[in-house]
Amino acid sequence: MMDIETDIVVVGAGPAGSLAAREAAIHGADVLLIDKKAEIGSPKRCAEGVSKQGLIDLGIQPDPRWIARKSNGVRLVSPDQTSVWLSEDTIDLPESGYVLERKVFDKHMAMDAARAGAKIMIRTRATALERTDDGIVITAEHMGEEVKITAKIVIAADGPESHIGRWAGLDCNTKFDNMESCIQFEMAGLEMENNNVIQLYFGSVAPGGYTWIFPKGEDVANVGIGVLKTHTDKTAYEHLMEFIKTCPETQHAQPVEMNMGGDPVGGIVKDRVGDNIIVVGDAAGFVNPLTGGGINSALESGAYAGIVAADAIDSGDYSKKNLKEYVKLTDENIGKGYEKYKKAKEYLLSLNDDELDKIAHEFAKQDIDEISPKSLIKLLIKVSPKALLKLGKLF
Amino acid sequence: MIIKDCCLYCGACAGVCQADAIDVQELKIVVDDEKCVKCGLCVKACPVAALEME
Repeated sequence: MMDIETDIVVVGAGPAGSLAAREAAIHGADVLLIDKKAEIGSPKRCAEGVSKQGLIDLGIQPDPRWIARKSNGVRLVSPDQTSVWLSEDTIDLPESGYVLERKVFDKHMAMDAARAGAKIMIRTRATALERTDDGIVITAEHMGEEVKITAKIVIAADGPESHIGRWAGLDCNTKFDNMESCIQFEMAGLEMENNNVIQLYFGSVAPGGYTWIFPKGEDVANVGIGVLKTHTDKTAYEHLMEFIKTCPETQHAQPVEMNMGGDPVGGIVKDRVGDNIIVVGDAAGFVNPLTGGGINSALESGAYAGIVAADAIDSGDYSKKNLKEYVKLTDENIGKGYEKYKKAKEYLLSLNDDELDKIAHEFAKQDIDEISPKSLIKLLIKVSPKALLKLGKLF
Repeated sequence: MIIKDCCLYCGACAGVCQADAIDVQELKIVVDDEKCVKCGLCVKACPVAALEME
């Protein structure tokens, strides 16, 4: 048995965990980052869309090694195949700008944490959590050996299944109605009308979610789907196979990778700090409720957690009260925006195929260079009066 | 619980488990029968229907 003592242990080396580890180390704490996988970043459970500005704001310099492709806009497709094209120049699109190579990106983030001074153990799976007088002991399995990690603070970055938060007594479980069931193929041989935009297909093609095509190369893209299982009896896989067979862009494409996962779209978990613990990333619901995109906010939550945890180590106070600064920072900088996206999602889910088509027909007539967020909302309310009721107060 | 070969250990099942009974390990899913309340949410959440109640 191995015994390790550290100020902070971060469980999970996804983007949130690695950035938390990096920031905590930069701010002077002893940090251990553990991950159960043999290879950080693989398999990915993600469509890989990310906002360029969001990365830069967090001090992550874009690197061509992990940017598969840049996107300059979005194409929204309604059930009758009407396309609405939006350009990044006129509309601020969340989680868009880059399509990442997550396997390279996640490793890069972990390497950055290591360079900042964090220690990393891979193939290390947390199996239990126990509280002591002034800290937490995580028991883990590492290469067939039991490891006891004694830490003052645990940062739980263990993804949507999030055991660590629950083991520490937090109510941070995702409810079934808020979990998108997702599956994706990385495919080659697509015939894309425009391979520089991300595409979203709405309506009964993906009940409770949408189907996406995120380009990663000239003829390569992530083709995936998220569905709410409260809205359909078919599996995500069945819905996606149907889409791939019928969509003109994908019907001749071939898969080279399959990914899947649950995407928690219910908004930020309220119970995300406790004595000696902070929960970040997917584990704490840092996923845009409208788009299901989570890399940017996961990173941001990780950065705040790392800084708050290191400050707490510095002051010697690891109580919930002292760690609550993290809740304040994430509420202000991420949570406020989510309220708006949540309303937009509810509105979107209330639309049937006919309503979606009607809205798309009106939008498709607009000149994309003249579209502004304001003109879009005005037009939306004209075509779909219930938008005023559901969204009016937000804009 | 029967876990079929199409499982990719993605953890969607563990994420919706209100009883915290499912552990996703590297290339293995472990269900704690004592915690499991047989609600079936994990079966529904699976993107490829890899889980089946016994």
